[in-house]
Amino acid sequence: MLSNLIRSPTTVRTLAKPVAITTAKLSTTQLINKSTYRTPNFDDVLKEDRNMDKSRVFSYFMVGSMGLLSSAGAKSTVETFLSSMSASADVLAMAKVEVSLANIPVGKNVVVKWQGKPVFIRHRTAHEIQEANEVDMSSLKDPQTDADRVQNPEWLIMLGICTHLGCVPIGESGDFGGWFCPCHGSHYDISGRIRKGPAPLNLEIPQYEFSEDKVIVG
Amino acid sequence: MSFASIYKVLFKRNSIFVGTVFVGAFLFQTEFDSAITKWYENRNKGKLWKDVKATIGSANNGAEDDDE
Repeated sequence: MLSNLIRSPTTVRTLAKPVAITTAKLSTTQLINKSTYRTPNFDDVLKEDRNMDKSRVFSYFMVGSMGLLSSAGAKSTVETFLSSMSASADVLAMAKVEVSLANIPVGKNVVVKWQGKPVFIRHRTAHEIQEANEVDMSSLKDPQTDADRVQNPEWLIMLGICTHLGCVPIGESGDFGGWFCPCHGSHYDISGRIRKGPAPLNLEIPQYEFSEDKVIVG
Repeated sequence: MSFASIYKVLFKRNSIFVGTVFVGAFLFQTEFDSAITKWYENRNKGKLWKDVKATIGSANNGAEDDDE
């Protein structure tokens, strides 16, 4: 019989005819009347002079508190998203700085901040350029020609950090008419080369490029 | 202030209700922030940098001269 069932499943036909559902729905009152549950009597806990204003104020207060909390949450969520859009520290570390050279008169220093470090820009006079080129290489501690240190001899652009211990040298001072580091007395010439004092190297030259009357450091 | 007058002042006009909620949210945020910070700093007393810095400062008095 089992094999017969398996072999011919078509024999399992719908034997039962659809039976009409005859259970009628009961109305609520009928249900209550039919209910066997006993309803307790709440009369002794219900207050006689129930303050409707109090409960209303309470409800509104709860609604308002909910709104307050959710709006504070929404505000801080939006703030988080907005702050994530602002430049992060690694982007700022790659930042370049653009300086307009038109405003710098001949023979003046300008200090700009680039990646947290001071950058000296000097508009050199013709006399200063000549002076920088006339220096004898053999007298230098860190020999470097002036042409190696500038792209355009009129503009000397270098990092204003003493190569000794990282102070910021003072411009237009020192024995060689350039920069002087007040911390341990290093003298730099008008090309930023170390001439006297404890500093071992010339002032560092950052990467920069000229575009029209601007210089982009970085 | 009876409950009826609270209702009249704060909740009757929806604009005032919503306005109160938003202003309250701003105040709540700063209050909450400072309260949490206070709690956190109290809980981690002695481990924070400002506490540690004081002990380091007293350990080597004036011996730091990193700016040369």
